[in-house]
Parts: sequence; structure tokens; C-alpha cells
Amino acid sequence: MNIQVSRKRSAKPKGRQIDESALKEVRDLLGERPRGSDLLIEHLHLIQDRYGCLSAAHLAALAEEMRLAQAEVYEVASFYDHFDIVKEGEAPPPPVTIRVCDSLSCMMAGAEALIAELENSVAGSDVRVVRAPCMGACDKAPALRVGKAEIAPAAAEAVKARLDKGAPFEPQMPDHQTLAAYQADGGYALLARVRAGEITADALIEAFGNAGLRGLGGAGFPAGTKWKFVRGYPGPRLMTVNGDEGEPGTFKDRYYLERDPHRALEGAMIAAHAVEADRIYFYMRDEYPEVLRILADEIAALEAAGLCEKGFIELRRGAGAYICGEESAMIESIEGKRGLPRHRPPYIAEVGVFGRPTLNHNVETLYWIRDIMEKGPDWFAAQGKDGHPGMRSWSVSGRVKDPGVKIAPAGVTIRELIDDHCGGMAEGHTFKAYLPGGASGGILPASMDDVPLDFGGKLAELNSFVGSHAVVVLSDKDSVKDATLNLLKFFKHESCGQCTPCRGGTEKMVALLQKGGALDEEALRDLEAVMRDASICGLGQAAPNPVNHLLVHFREDL
Amino acid sequence: MSKTINFILDGKTVSAAEGETIWEVAKREGTRIPHLCHLDKPGYRPDGNCRACMVEIDGERTLAASCVRKPSEGMKVSIDTERADAARRMVFELLAADMPAQAESPDNQSDFWAWAGSMGISGSDRLPSKFDGAEDAGNGSRPGIHDVSNPAIAVNLDACIACNACVRACREVQVNDVLGMADRGSHSIPVFDIHDPMGHSTCVTCGECVQACPTGALYEKSLMDESGRKRAIQEFDKVVDSVCPFCGVGCQTTVYVKDNRIVQVDGRNGPANENRLCVKGRFGYDYAMSPERLTRPLIRRDDAPKAGDMDLRGVDPMTIFREATWDEAMERAASGLRTIRDRDGGDAIAGFGSAKGSNEEAYLFQKLIRQGFQTNNVDHCTRLCHASSVAALMEGVGSGAVSAPFTDALKADCIVVIGARPTINHPVAATYFKQAAKRGKKLIIMDPRRQDLMRHASHALQFKPGTDVAMLNALINVIIAEGLYDEQYVQANVEGFEALKAKVANFTPEAMSDVCGIDADTLRDVARTYATSERSIIFWGMGISQHTHGTDNSRCLIALSLITGQIGREGTGLHPLRGQNNVQGASDAGLIPMVFPDYRSVENADVRGEFEDLWGRTLSPVRGLTVVEIIDAIHAGQIKGMYIMGENPAMSDPDQNHARAALAELEHLVVQDIFLTETAWHADVVLPASAHAEKTGTYTNTNRQVQVGRPVLDMPGEARQDWELIADLAGRIGLDWNYSDISDVYTEMASTMPSLNNISWERLVGEDAVTYPADAPDKPGNEILFARGFPTPDGRGKIVPADLLPPDELPDEEYPMILTTGRLLEHWHTGAMTRRADVLDAIEPEGIAAMNPREIERMGLTAGQMIEVETRRGTVQAVLRADREVADGMVFMPFCFAESPANRLTNPQLDPFGKIPEFKFCAASVRPLPMADAAE
Repeated sequence: MNIQVSRKRSAKPKGRQIDESALKEVRDLLGERPRGSDLLIEHLHLIQDRYGCLSAAHLAALAEEMRLAQAEVYEVASFYDHFDIVKEGEAPPPPVTIRVCDSLSCMMAGAEALIAELENSVAGSDVRVVRAPCMGACDKAPALRVGKAEIAPAAAEAVKARLDKGAPFEPQMPDHQTLAAYQADGGYALLARVRAGEITADALIEAFGNAGLRGLGGAGFPAGTKWKFVRGYPGPRLMTVNGDEGEPGTFKDRYYLERDPHRALEGAMIAAHAVEADRIYFYMRDEYPEVLRILADEIAALEAAGLCEKGFIELRRGAGAYICGEESAMIESIEGKRGLPRHRPPYIAEVGVFGRPTLNHNVETLYWIRDIMEKGPDWFAAQGKDGHPGMRSWSVSGRVKDPGVKIAPAGVTIRELIDDHCGGMAEGHTFKAYLPGGASGGILPASMDDVPLDFGGKLAELNSFVGSHAVVVLSDKDSVKDATLNLLKFFKHESCGQCTPCRGGTEKMVALLQKGGALDEEALRDLEAVMRDASICGLGQAAPNPVNHLLVHFREDL
Repeated sequence: MSKTINFILDGKTVSAAEGETIWEVAKREGTRIPHLCHLDKPGYRPDGNCRACMVEIDGERTLAASCVRKPSEGMKVSIDTERADAARRMVFELLAADMPAQAESPDNQSDFWAWAGSMGISGSDRLPSKFDGAEDAGNGSRPGIHDVSNPAIAVNLDACIACNACVRACREVQVNDVLGMADRGSHSIPVFDIHDPMGHSTCVTCGECVQACPTGALYEKSLMDESGRKRAIQEFDKVVDSVCPFCGVGCQTTVYVKDNRIVQVDGRNGPANENRLCVKGRFGYDYAMSPERLTRPLIRRDDAPKAGDMDLRGVDPMTIFREATWDEAMERAASGLRTIRDRDGGDAIAGFGSAKGSNEEAYLFQKLIRQGFQTNNVDHCTRLCHASSVAALMEGVGSGAVSAPFTDALKADCIVVIGARPTINHPVAATYFKQAAKRGKKLIIMDPRRQDLMRHASHALQFKPGTDVAMLNALINVIIAEGLYDEQYVQANVEGFEALKAKVANFTPEAMSDVCGIDADTLRDVARTYATSERSIIFWGMGISQHTHGTDNSRCLIALSLITGQIGREGTGLHPLRGQNNVQGASDAGLIPMVFPDYRSVENADVRGEFEDLWGRTLSPVRGLTVVEIIDAIHAGQIKGMYIMGENPAMSDPDQNHARAALAELEHLVVQDIFLTETAWHADVVLPASAHAEKTGTYTNTNRQVQVGRPVLDMPGEARQDWELIADLAGRIGLDWNYSDISDVYTEMASTMPSLNNISWERLVGEDAVTYPADAPDKPGNEILFARGFPTPDGRGKIVPADLLPPDELPDEEYPMILTTGRLLEHWHTGAMTRRADVLDAIEPEGIAAMNPREIERMGLTAGQMIEVETRRGTVQAVLRADREVADGMVFMPFCFAESPANRLTNPQLDPFGKIPEFKFCAASVRPLPMADAAE
């Protein structure tokens, strides 16, 4: 039997000991902030922001300070992309990080060449270039961030110029409607009426039913029904707002929050009132530093104005994990844990954040609440096509002339979106294929340009869905096989790793797609089946969609 | 009555209890659905992540994991469908694709390969392994996938299926919180601490992860080849159900034997451990197979004089002893004792039995001393552990045993642990405390040293050493002053409340705060939490008992529980965590100088008459001497001969120079042991005896659970069974004993002990564990005592108020530090067993003295250097350990290291009631040892 032991053991108890100076640094950084374990990710951000990385000494000190085990801290820190863990003897990362988006729209816009150029020109001891998934700038592809400063569309020259200008690499803040302006425009009057009991929860629920308002994060669940469910479980209840807009190609929530944040905040407070939620956790992805600042400022303004109690809306910052857009994974993340989706049942309406009944909404869903109540449910319903009530915010990117967030009816076709809302195809490009719902919704050929785009219906029959309404348009210049590989690489990178079908399936699909020679279609189909049937959450279940469509609709690209 | 859910499983209508999963129902119905991450073992919640157990549910879009899914009324569930079968098979293919071939696997017999084999899956020829190619070559910062840095466990992560079982084992079952599942996606990987090598992490090597792992990715090195990559031992010669030899928790074990060597120990589902073990129980078994085992009887050479300061470490024992035949050795042993008895009377003889031996051995040992020598000079190491607790409990509640099992921590709302470090000394009991805390129960830890449990605690009180009474009286003061006591309970069941009330009137939290170092608000909060919780339970250890005021400390705890009525119900009560595996049983069996079996006084003529009738001899009506008193009596020339079985007073007794001098002074010393212990150095005759793993016997754990140990190994050389040696000696001093089997001994013993009524040998062997007292042969024993009053003469509990008494020896200018002693996780008691267990000695290989890093820095010392610790009784050298748990001004030393024997330093001053020495507190000084003086 091979027994080894370090003789240095005797000088100390088992394992890494606490470094007193690191402990002091962590204590100073945390200050008076609470030490509850749900704040782990927030506290990791404090250290990462201040020291540019998470040293093992700081992680151990944070564990000590939060009365957690080192492993509990490490497993969380290592789950999220935006944390850089540096162990003893390792070099810290360079002070400047350039994250280049390598998701589909940016890839089609030349991200690969950009990455290669940056690697050759600017990467070095002071700058590193890393790949990152979609940052919600698909309409300005290719996108990247130098530190927190966004450059989109980006070219190597512009990056060099920005680097030459030097730190700080802070976000450029968009002009947004502040609280005062929003209130001057009649904002928060609706909330006041709801709070005063003039409009009851039942009336709101009925209105949303009539309006046909559905959850716009991707699942399309009727909003009013959700409120009813949550109210059916005994309190105390909580609310979450899902601002983890990570579906590649999606940037509508960013669009609204950078312009009119209070419309969503008011909607959130109305919803919280209706379900009697004690608190709102607003989970915002870390890829949107501008939005994080706006929300922090405007929530503070709300508190100062007495519109909500201090701490009623708690802003939580993601840390680079697509899976946290899945509501139960987001809830785990809010609780300070790795973002692993939960098994259902029970659903979060019954057992959500901290085990309490929880109402969760996407940002955009909340955004429409005021308009629906002010202009009436019928007005909203009438914005859609026949049988497709309501309007939708389409994030359109790819080979169209005028990409961006397009407000268009539910049930619109891709042809209408391209021609009527995006000025047609980009110069020199012929429409070949489209993604109706981001990375997960599959890839349909141009021949299917008359499918009404909405939840369920014809799309579902095609093994496709509209999801977060992220439409990416491909042209004759694009290979669907390359696009499929790009999407699967994304899913492989973003799989939480919890269940075998998704963890192994995404990884094996990438390996099979990358392998030379003819595709092993039977193996791919078997993987598709197990992923669809046996994955815990939607990520693994939907990840094979593009592969399925590649094999069915785009055989010429194989 | 919980409701039943009817549903259809593969076409058959079946019913499930509320909360039951589909997997459980299927198992009950005779179908074992494939499973990997679901362990189907107590304490493990199903996790549903591996997806090996998928089933089809009518009307659902996707398949469901049967291990987590609960059926609903009328649900149609199909296990045996093409779709579900395809998914399950694909899961196995996916996992097998990344795994080494079965023959190259760390455990080719793992659950994974058993299931895969049942499906005809041996790998994948179409899915590439994730370990192929450069992708996982690593960036150099990651430790490799093979990690053999832990002395007992090999890690081979190429066999890992990221099923999370090890993490649940470490975090939810044992709550050691070392393992985490790090990274994500196909990089998901179990890690120790901050992705550290296992052997360099905070891992305590409990091996729960090994027992949980379904693939062998974490596996016992003892079953593997030299490289720790592949299983080497493919089958066992025997597999025996037994019980752990180490601490009072009493974990049940399954022991695997190959070629007369133990090669594996697993936890078994016993009432005290539910499959769990600690590092000692799982990996500390090889002491029994040590080449240092005594194999032939030894007689001291005529030319080998005795000396208290003799040191046989590294010395050939044959320069001191010679080998002898059994007949010669036994005759020499017996005649020496006989001579003294016949010349000086029986009171010139004393015996130390052992709390490591079985109940039967303890019974025979005390019977031999009492019957053979007409003296009650028989004691054992309980004197050094909980004698003061037992004294206080006998006085207060009429019984020395625990009132509730430690597993009741899970039923309690408030758990107090004072003066005990269960993660070190009762690791498996500690798992229940930690689990309770994780479930949100109030956990109150009071200890002058910081400890692991404090991280889990709702209240962590690091009070000043020796100020227990001040702190506890302040709690009582709050409870009485604020009217939080249970007036009805006190009126019905308690004596002495008014005296207590008067006594503690001045012990306000404000007045005691400075004394004990805990602020008044915290004291009030703790008092209120304890008193007002629905169920509160108190656990304590040697931090309470090993003081000159140890009995007073325990009295305070008893008073707390009596005035609040926190006793006699589930989840409440008093639980002194008993140390040795059989200290409860040895005490019950009468290995105590004041009492016969079942704590019946030797001074009571009726009781004595009963034993005189049974044993056919006149017995001494006088209490015998206790451990430390016996040592003093040797020096005083009163005691001249001793029989010591399985105890090591040369290491365990306080003021070791004094104790060893006494042993050397004996005219005749017979030592019966498995090793040539420090005590045996002073022996005239050494009798090689049986290790725990070589004998049948019963052992009573801290929960009053009587359990059965069974032999797994042959004895080495000419070594003999302990009970046969006692019986042989009995015959040679003129007693007429006639036992044909150890079961005869149990039956006779039980006939003298009402507590063992209804617990026959046959019942024990059949059930493996029975709690006493039991009301009927077919009824489980009573876990909870005192539900209806106390076994005192008036049926009431008695409060004895305690006053402030300082420790005997306070720090001064010459000796400015406080020395406190205790144990390490890996080493049992005096180290006789564990220093000879390779894994345990590899983890803690040398004598240490621990101080706070701040204190070390202040004193200009460096962790890792040799230091000398001195008290008024001697000096000891040890390696200095920097340990944040030790308070400023304190030194902690474990007493297990022969090269750094802490008990050379300790104060032999006794508690007046329990006669227990003050191991936990004496004045000491520390100085660096110049390199030239550092002998080792």
C-alpha cells in the first residue's frame, strides 16, 4: 500500500491555514455587509473587482469570514466564468481582460479573425484576450469589452486605441429615463393605485389574461396564471426578476433597461404587491455593467423617494453563467450557490428562493404591465396577429440590413421581420436560414419563411421555438454546420454539468461534429434522444435542436 | 396516518406511502431500476443527476428520474419501455466512454461496472473519450486526475462520473465539508477545499466518500496495486460483521479479510452510525496485524532491574525480558500475586481492567480481584475520563448513564456541547450534531479552544479555561431570574431548587462576564435559548470532567436540565460523551472500586451478600482505591502487586514520572496486553493477549447500546484470549471458575445486572445491538431514561449547587501559560494502537504542542520548530504547531505520543468526588529548544 505523507504536517493543522493579512483584507472589503451565505457571489465580486482575481488566500479567508467551508466557496467561484481563481504559486491574470464575444452573430461578423488579430497584437503580460459568450450586442457585432468598456462593432484598431487611452475601462453610460422623468411622465401612479387597493390583484390577473401577456423570458407561460399559482401557496412569498438575458442573440431586456428602467421596476413592484412578496431579488447578468449601474442608482432613488423600503429590491449580480437564466438555476445563484437547475416538481411557485413560494418574471414581461393597465388589455392583445395576441420585442441580428430590437406583432413571420422591420437582407447576402429563438430554438431553412413566430403552434411541430424572440438570420455565405458547431460549443461551455445527458451529450456532440469525415448520424441521433428525454432542464433538452435541424434541413451543408 | 398514493407501475396498480419515490416503490415491488448517483443508503438523499434511472410517465414530455420523482394518484409509470431503456443505456454509454476500460478501472467490481455489465455495455466505440486529445490536458494549474497524496485513499478522476455522491457523503452525511463539485459542464470535478491534493487538504479521511463512490474513483489504497490505479484484491476470504474498537460511539462495521489480514472496513447500518465511520474505524485497523504484537509470554530477566525512568523505545526488549512457556509465565504471574495476598492481605493487590475490553472481560476481571483477593482495589480509565460526571449523575439523577442517545440531537431544537470536541473524539456522533445545525437547530458550543463545530454553531462561546461554573451558574441565574424554569416540573420532580436559587442569586451574567470571558448579552441569549426551546439536550466531555471541580461542573449541567425540565423526553437530556468503546460497559460491569456490577455499592451488606452467595467467598466491605490513589498507595508501600490488563497508566496517568516510579516500585506487576506498552516496561510478567479483532464479546457504547464484536483474525503466535487468561489466573490463585464459552460469562454477568434484564446472549447475537434497559425480550430497549422520575430513593432529581473554585494550579511568573491536554483525531488514547496503525501514524506522525500563531509570533518562535514545555512535574519536547484554535496564553498537547508524553506534565490533583485528575489545566512554560538539544 502506498502511504505518503508530508512531514511538514506537524507545524500546522490539516489543510490550508488562514492567512491573517488576507483575512484582514477580506474583512475590510466586506465592511458592515451581512455575511449570510446567499451573498457569497456578491462578496466574490467585491474581491475580484478589488484585486483582479480570487487568490486562494482570499478564498480561504472569505470562507472563514462567512463561516463556510473552503470547498463551498471554491465550487461556487469556479462555476462562474467571471471569476479568476489564482492558487498559490500561480500568476494572477493580466490587469486588462478583453472579452470577445464568440457567439453566432459575432462569429458571423468576424469574431474569429478579430480574436486572432488581438491575440497577435495586444495580448501580453498586461492584456489577455478571452472568448466569451453572447454579451447582448448582437446588432453591433462583433462585440467585445475591454474591462467593462464595450466596443461594438469592434475592430483591432479601435481596441488598440482604447487600450492606449488607458484605464479605467469603465462602461459608457447610456442616457436613460431617471426616476424624476419617469414620474413626471405619470410613472408609479399605477403602483400607487394598486397599493391603495384601487386595482386588485384579481383585476390585474384578469387584465393580463385578456391581454394575452405571456412570460417573455422564453417559456411563454401566461403571466396572470403564474400570479394565481403563487398566490395559491401560503406565504411568506418572494419575487425574483430574471435579468440573466443570456440566450445568444437576445438583447431586448438590455435595450429596455438602458432606456426606461423604471417601467420594469414599477411592473416588478406591482407584481410583488399582487402576490404579497416580502422582497424582490433582481438578478442581473454581469455582462451588462451599464444596466447594473442604472439599476443600482435607480433602486437607490426609489428608496430615497420612499417608493420602496430599503432593501426591498435587492440587486444581485450574475457572474457569467448562461444557465442562471433558467429560473431555478437563477434561484440557486441568488442563494449563493452554483447555478444548478432544480428538479421539478416542486415548481418555484411553491418552493422557490430560500424554499419559499416565488414569483419569477422576465424583465420584459414586467415592462408591459404599465402599458397594459394604462391602455387596456385589448389594446395590447390587438398588437398581435390573428390568434397571436400581443406585441413582442424581437432581437434581430445576423445578415439583415438593419438589425436591432424590433417591436412587432406576435405571430409575425421571418419574411416580414426581415423585409418590413429590418430593411431587408444585408447587401450581398441571400436569405438561407434563421434561428427563431436564439441558440436553443433550432435552425429553420429560408423555405419555411411563412411560419408564424409565436409560442407553440407550427413552430413546435418543427421542433423549434421562439423562446426569447432572438432571431438570427443566416445567408448563403454562412455554413449551417459551422453555425451548429458554434451553438453546440456554446451549450457545452454553458452546461452546468449536473446531469449526464447534457454534460456528456453537449461535449460528445461537439466532438462528433468536429471529427473529420462523415458525421456519425446514428450516434448524434442517439445523443439527441437521451438529451431531449433525460436532461434535467431545458438547456440539455433543447441543445440538440440545431443538430436535429442540420441533419433534417441542411444536408447540403454536411 | 399518512396517506397512500395509488399509481400504475408497468401496468400494475401499486401504492406508495407519502414521500416515497417511484424508485423505492419499484424496489419494493421487486424491480431494481439502474442507479448510480442514488445510493439507496441511510442519510443519502436521492439527487437525480446521473439519469440512469429514467422512467416514462404518461402525459409527460420528458422522462423522469425515478429516484427523485414521487408518484401522484393515478399516474401511469413505465420502467420497461424502449424509450426509457434507450435513455438509460445511453447514459451508461456516455459515462463509459470517458472511463478507463473495466480491467483498467480503479475498481473493476464497482456498482458502475455491475450495472453496465448487466446491460452489456463495456465502453463506447463511437463516442470519443473526453480525455482524448488536448482539450483536457489542463493548463498546468490543475492537479492531475490521479492523486495519491492521501495515505489511505487513491483518487482516480478518470473514473469519476460527477454524480455528486462523494460531495453528499462529505457535506450532508459526515458534514466534514471538504469536498465540493467545482467547475462546470464536462469539466465538473470533485475537489478538496480549493482544488487541493486530497492529502494536503482539510480532509479528515473518514472515507465516507470512498464508501459512497459508485465507480472507485475514490477508493481504498489497501485494495489496490502499488500505484493506486487498479484494484488488486479481487475477493475476500471472509467478511465479518463487527463493531469498531475505538471510541464510545460504537460504530458497527463490516470487516473484509484476505490472507488473515484485514484489508477493508466499511460502516454498517448500526443504531449509532448508520454506515458512517471515522478515520480510525475505517483505516486504523492494522495495529492488530503489527509486527510489534506480543506473540509469546515474557518474564522479566533477573538481571533487568526496574526503574521509573526507563525508556525502552528503540531498545531490544529481550535485554529486559525472556520468552517463557505459558505454564511458566502463568505460574509466575499467579504466584507473585498469591505471595503478596497471603503475606500482606488482599488489599496489597490492585487491578486495572480496561475499557477497551469486552463486558465479559471487565466482569471477569473485577470478579477475579474481588473474589480472588477480597479487595475492591479495581479500577480502570473511566477514572480519568468521566468519573466526576458519573459521581454527579449518580448523586443527581441516580444513574451514571446517558439519558438519551446522541442521535437525539436530530430531534432536539437546541443542542449544547460543552467541554467536548466531538469532531475529534466522537467524529460520528459529531456528524449528527452538524446535521442538526444544518437543519437550523440551535447549536451552542462552549469550549476554551475554538473548534470545528463552532462554524456550524448558532452560539460559539470560547470561554476562559476553568471558569465553567461561573459561566453555567450565570445561565442558571438568568433562567431563574427571568422565570424561564419549568415550575411544574421542578415541583413534581426536583429537590434543592431553593438552595440553587439562593446560590446563583449573585451569579448575574454581568458579574460573571469578566470571570468567564463571555459577554452578558450572549450569556442571556444562551440561557434563554436553552430554557425556552421545546427540546434541549446537553452533551459534554472531558473539558467538564477533567478538573478538580469536575463534579461541580457536571452538577451545573444537571441543574440546568432539571430546572427547565429538559430531560426525560426525546431530544432532551444529559449525555456525557463516553470515551472508550466500552467505558460504559466496563463501568456497568463493576470495574469500579466502589461498586459491584450495575453500580451497586460494595458497602451495602445486602448487595454484598448477593455477590457472596453467587461467588462463594467473603467479599471486602470497603471501597477500593481509585487509579491515582492506587499509584499513591504504591509509593506509600500499601500496594505491592498489580494485575493490569489492557491499560497503559504509564502514559495515561497524570504526573507520569510519579506514576512510572510507582509501577517500577511494585514487587510484582503482571501486564496483559497486545503490545509491550510503556506500562509493560515495568512488568515482571507480560501476557500476550487478544486484539479486539480476534475475539468475541459485547461492548456497550455511550448510547447504552450493547453490541457484538466478532473475531476476524487469528491471534498471532502464542497469544491467547484475554478472558481465558483471566480464568487461567483465577484457577491458579485458587478460584474454581468454569466457563466453557464467553457466552457463559455474559449470562452470569447479566444475571447480576438488572439493567440487562431481557437482553440474552442469543438476543444480542441475533440483533447485533440492543439498548438497555429493555422492558421485554421482544421489545426494543428504552432510548430515553427518566420519563417518569428518577431512580433515586425518592424518585426526584437532586440539585447540588456549585461554587466557584479556581483550578488547582494557576499560571504565575515562572509558569505563565496554561497547559491543557487532549486527543488528536487520528490517535486513540495513549497511542498504543494508533501509533501502530500506518495510515493514522502517517497523518499524525510525531509529538506536537499547539499554540496560537499570534502567541507563537509574540514569543519569537516558529511553527515546526522543537520546543520544550515545562511544568512543576517535568519537561517534554515536542514540535510546535501553529493552531488558531488554541487561545492566547494556552498550550495544547495530545497525550498519545510516547516521545512527547504530555502526562509527564499534568497535575495529579484530584476532584474530591470523582477522584479524577485535572488533566485540562495546569501552569506551564514554553521555550525554544536549541537545535543541538533537539534529540529527535
